[in-house]
Amino acid sequence: MATTDDSAGAWFGSDGQVSQLRGLLFKAGCLGATLLALFLVFVFLVYVAVDAIEPGTADPAWWATVAATVAVPAVALAAYYYRYDPRAGEVAYTAVGLPIAATLLAGGVGIVFRHIVSPHEWLALVVAALVAYGALEVHDRVRRAGAFERAAIGAIVLVVTIVGLPGLVPSLRSLILSLPVLPMAPLSLLGTFVVPVALAVGWYVRRERESERAGLIAGGATVAAAALGAVAGPVAGVSWTTWLILTTVVGVPVGLYVERVLSGGEGVSGLALPVALAAGVVVCAVVVETAGFTGPDVWLDWEFLTNAHNRTPREAGIYPALVGSVMMIIVVALAAFPVGVGAAIYLEEYAPTGGLLGSFVELVEINIANLAGVPSVVYGLLGLALFINAGGLQPGIVIVGGLTVALLILPIVIVSAQEAIRAVPDSQRQAAYGMGATRWQTVRTVVLPRAMPGILTGTILALGRAIGETAPLLMVGVAAVVRISPTSFFGLFSAMPRQLYSWAQLAKPDFYHGVLAAGVLVLLIVLLMMNGTAILLRNKYQRRD
Amino acid sequence: MSDTPIEADLTRSANGRIAKERLYHGLLFCCAALTVFVTVGIVATLAIDALEFFGRVDPYAFFTGTEWVLRSENPILGILPLLSATLVVTVVSALVAIPIGTAAAVYLSEYASDRMRSVLKPALEILAGIPTVVYGFFALVYLTPWLQQIGLGVSLFNLLSASIMVGIMIIPMVSSISEDAMSAVPDSLRQAGYGLGATKFEVSTKIVIPASISGIFSSYILALSRAIGETMIVVVAGGSRARMFDPSQPFANLLNSGQTMTAAMVQAVTTDLSGGTAGYYSMFAIGLTLFAITFSMNLLSNRIAARYREEYQ
Repeated sequence: MATTDDSAGAWFGSDGQVSQLRGLLFKAGCLGATLLALFLVFVFLVYVAVDAIEPGTADPAWWATVAATVAVPAVALAAYYYRYDPRAGEVAYTAVGLPIAATLLAGGVGIVFRHIVSPHEWLALVVAALVAYGALEVHDRVRRAGAFERAAIGAIVLVVTIVGLPGLVPSLRSLILSLPVLPMAPLSLLGTFVVPVALAVGWYVRRERESERAGLIAGGATVAAAALGAVAGPVAGVSWTTWLILTTVVGVPVGLYVERVLSGGEGVSGLALPVALAAGVVVCAVVVETAGFTGPDVWLDWEFLTNAHNRTPREAGIYPALVGSVMMIIVVALAAFPVGVGAAIYLEEYAPTGGLLGSFVELVEINIANLAGVPSVVYGLLGLALFINAGGLQPGIVIVGGLTVALLILPIVIVSAQEAIRAVPDSQRQAAYGMGATRWQTVRTVVLPRAMPGILTGTILALGRAIGETAPLLMVGVAAVVRISPTSFFGLFSAMPRQLYSWAQLAKPDFYHGVLAAGVLVLLIVLLMMNGTAILLRNKYQRRD
Repeated sequence: MSDTPIEADLTRSANGRIAKERLYHGLLFCCAALTVFVTVGIVATLAIDALEFFGRVDPYAFFTGTEWVLRSENPILGILPLLSATLVVTVVSALVAIPIGTAAAVYLSEYASDRMRSVLKPALEILAGIPTVVYGFFALVYLTPWLQQIGLGVSLFNLLSASIMVGIMIIPMVSSISEDAMSAVPDSLRQAGYGLGATKFEVSTKIVIPASISGIFSSYILALSRAIGETMIVVVAGGSRARMFDPSQPFANLLNSGQTMTAAMVQAVTTDLSGGTAGYYSMFAIGLTLFAITFSMNLLSNRIAARYREEYQ
């Protein structure tokens, strides 16, 4: 970048050939710098993967089989898509990524039903909520009363059905839970988890296709597939509950996507990639089994995902931290999403521009931009002082960790939601006001639905940031080793990054190059899937607008 | 939750509707006001506990002390060793991130084809999404042994490898904000340059970069403030022995372990200091210092960035 010579008086084209060479070098240098940054991190990632998988411990024949059955067909297909059919390529990568992301989500849902709300608790909650909703609807039909009476009735119904007054009025929810006979766990899930999902699917398909029949078929198929698990689950070697979660969380989105690609008729050949991959894996497994090749001695295996921490590296696992991360993310999402979106709506739709309040709003805007740059460790101190020292909560419990991280990602959620809301064309708002809608009705029915994809993208990215945060958790006293998964939001927990840090402190080679690498890989895969989903969502809706 | 989107509800009294509107307005306002509360909360909690700390330790001794030994009994608390280590990390990471990040921004904004950009930008975004504890792990487990292999006598925990990793971490920040600034330069300026017979190189370095210099500087300041506040990388890879910067051997400081302000805070909270001792409260004093530094840097960066936005809109 030798541009120090005084060029103010010089004619720009005067140095002809030389400047061409200089320009080329400059361009190459800039490209090289970009690639260098990416390459360095790529090298680190390869090292982590090698440490976690230990490819050297496998038979060369095992690798040859994998290459022949899985890698070569996949690469060939990818080359074909790149060269001849980019649209099919997009379909192919979505069709491969979607099942993987959905399986991770299914794992999260499974953890929720296993550790946070048992199927029976969920049943009681859903039934109580339905009763509450029904009671409010009936009241609404019978007495068209003013807002205050409705609010009061709403509060009473909520107390009677869901919350209850401890010691005085048992809630409907706890009454249901204390019933002597409750349906089996999978049956309760079928009724209160699968059926609502099926209703949503049916509604969505009906709207997309504008056909009553298609909606019924889609909804019915969802329930039928889940119910089939009573027979097919044990045959396939999984419990009915697992089957049920897999079919609803993985089967439904994959089915909808495949169906849409097939009926759209665009890029159908992209579906060949996941089919080829799946077939390749099956063939590979059969060949390896019959020929007796030994596979690599991977650190990142099923035991790693389901064990707790152990001093013996081979037996150490990440399960309690995984559960802790899922629970923490639930707290973060519940706390940061409504507040963040609410603040964004206020700033974009309600905030006055002039007067005293206007300057307050300006202050809020500047403040949010600055909060986004406050170091995460300072948020940890805030959490420590606010929730533990002042609020009297116990250090290291899920709710404290979650709320602290929620404060940290709040500015990110607000800024991205503001951008999404700003992107909604003003003409739509004017149209709604012109029809006599109030401000809140406009926000609820016009602005929010259009801005939702953008808001969700920003929120997923922010939650990805939340999953990886370590320093705030250290500050609020999240324990180094937690061997038992937390059972409530007030239980002690560990999270994945916290667990990684305590392994890093152990300073043993087997932990460095085995357990730690496997844990890093798990964390990165989760993050990659979340960020990938967010970016896909963004691209899809950006193109539509 | 009804299916009909906008209810043409003319029978209900307007009072209810107005009350509802007011309720939502108030709720949303509270959400926005909460963010101010967060800032006030940070300042207040840090200030209260820092005052508690300065009741036990002389502020002058704290800000000028050149030794930091954290223990329950008679700790020696002087912030300068921590400040110097933070400075070292910031300077080295800036040396890594600023040239690479700026060059990447120039490439993405001026040279890259659409296809290239559609690959490189998400890749850089992914770089920005990697958790810092993972970067710390990279530094400790891979980078430090490499540095040892190429003959730098680094110890197991050292500031050099931590700083390089912090630099790599903040590259996406420099490149994406600088690129936004460069893309905001109107094309008419570039075309005027080409019209005078300038080459692409000359347009990039003599027109685009000077025109977007305020945005580029704002990205530098923001990235440096991020480096100052970075915790996990230096905690994992930098070690936990506070050393005062020794100007007679500048490189020795890099090759040995050191403790930054953030690392000292983590150490104060993770070692079993009984609450109420000066050592425990010291982290609030450090936190306040850290917050003051980063907050003013962010404020400065936003001011500078606001200038270039005004210039071209």
